[in-house]
Amino acid sequence: MPRSGYRTAVDRLCAALGRLPGIGAKSAERLAHHLLKCTEAEAFELADAIREVKSRIRHCQNCCHLTEAEEPLCDICRDPLRDQTTICVVEQSRDLLTLEKSAAFRGLYHVLLGRLSPLSGIGPDSLSIDTLVERVSAGTIQEVVLATNPNLEGDGTALLIAERLAQFPIRVTRLARGLASGGTLEFANRDMLADAFVGRRPV
Amino acid sequence: MPSARTLAIVIRSVEVFESSSIVTVFTRELGKAAALAKGARRLKSPFEGGLDLLSVSDIVLLPRASEALDLLTESAPVERFDTLRRDLAALYAGFHIAQLLSDLTDVHDPHPRLFDAARVTLRRLGEGDLRIRRVARFELFCLRELGLMPSLDTCSHCGRAVVNEGDRVGFAVALGGIVCHECRPGLAQVSLLPRESVAAMRALASPGNDWRNLEEQGRALGWARETIGHVLSHILGRRPRFRPLAGV
Repeated sequence: MPRSGYRTAVDRLCAALGRLPGIGAKSAERLAHHLLKCTEAEAFELADAIREVKSRIRHCQNCCHLTEAEEPLCDICRDPLRDQTTICVVEQSRDLLTLEKSAAFRGLYHVLLGRLSPLSGIGPDSLSIDTLVERVSAGTIQEVVLATNPNLEGDGTALLIAERLAQFPIRVTRLARGLASGGTLEFANRDMLADAFVGRRPV
Repeated sequence: MPSARTLAIVIRSVEVFESSSIVTVFTRELGKAAALAKGARRLKSPFEGGLDLLSVSDIVLLPRASEALDLLTESAPVERFDTLRRDLAALYAGFHIAQLLSDLTDVHDPHPRLFDAARVTLRRLGEGDLRIRRVARFELFCLRELGLMPSLDTCSHCGRAVVNEGDRVGFAVALGGIVCHECRPGLAQVSLLPRESVAAMRALASPGNDWRNLEEQGRALGWARETIGHVLSHILGRRPRFRPLAGV
């Protein structure tokens, strides 16, 4: 029985949109009505884009970043100009893209596909740590940079990876943390200052 | 409803929208609450980095009368437990504590003593030689505070004091504690525990320092931990996920 008196197809669309993160029932209804009002071409373009991304995009066999289905490796893993001895470990592909935009790192990446998160049901087995260990055990890697988020879950994930990699003769490093560039001490919070003091370095 | 200022332990955080989070906090004065923290992930926000998981923050909460989420308007960090960032077993124990607070307590049902106990336990998880006992002690404190403590002195079936029962004492998880020699035969799912393990649970649940004298790897504590685990699994309807990882 339709919940709102609409036709079933509109109800189904509302329900599907309402399952997207950050979209509630009202927003789902608003988006559904927008799709009803827009041209057929515009609506089908969105539908095709969703279908294509789900059928064509896969995880890279090497680093778990996103790649096209016909390519087992992503663009970064295929690029011979990248530093093949350093891996930067990130939680998700979005973090990788942020780091790429900064152009501060020219090595390889490894995407964990999440982070330790107890109440969301994500434990060590849900992450792609075994694949990372396999890559390191191949012997060409000299440094692994842990770029998980600077919060407790990110730190815990980094700790877990560092323990797993302790058996290999490589450098395992963590991104620096503390004061933000361009900020002022006056507006830095206690934790930022504490981290900055711990991570201070000679000039 | 007016805003309320209280200390809180962040037990869950989920990212929503562009820069906001829905955080579940266990507060000292208001109990558990789920609140929307608008813009919490921005570098410059009214939350000053005070919403990290398992940290203690001084928060201002705007409770909603309806079923809508509360609104978190301010937060300042008060205490961060750095041991959890250096010691994986301590971190898993911290996750376990967060899970107990989340799953065993009700929304807006305050338990200030449980808040204080959680804070003290989190602060001392770095003491590796006492960690297992501290977590077991917190589990029993949590059960007692919430009215779920298994009976360790009187029969959970007939209510009589249980004394001089011999080397083994009957324990029925479903009934909620030990059962006396007379009641035991007719009851299903009663396990027999060594007397020392019940004594170990009593020591862990008591306010004194006797629990410190229990052997960390001893048989009595091992049985006691296993029994507490069964009680928690029974109440939660599943095994606590991070308990084995924390070595408890």
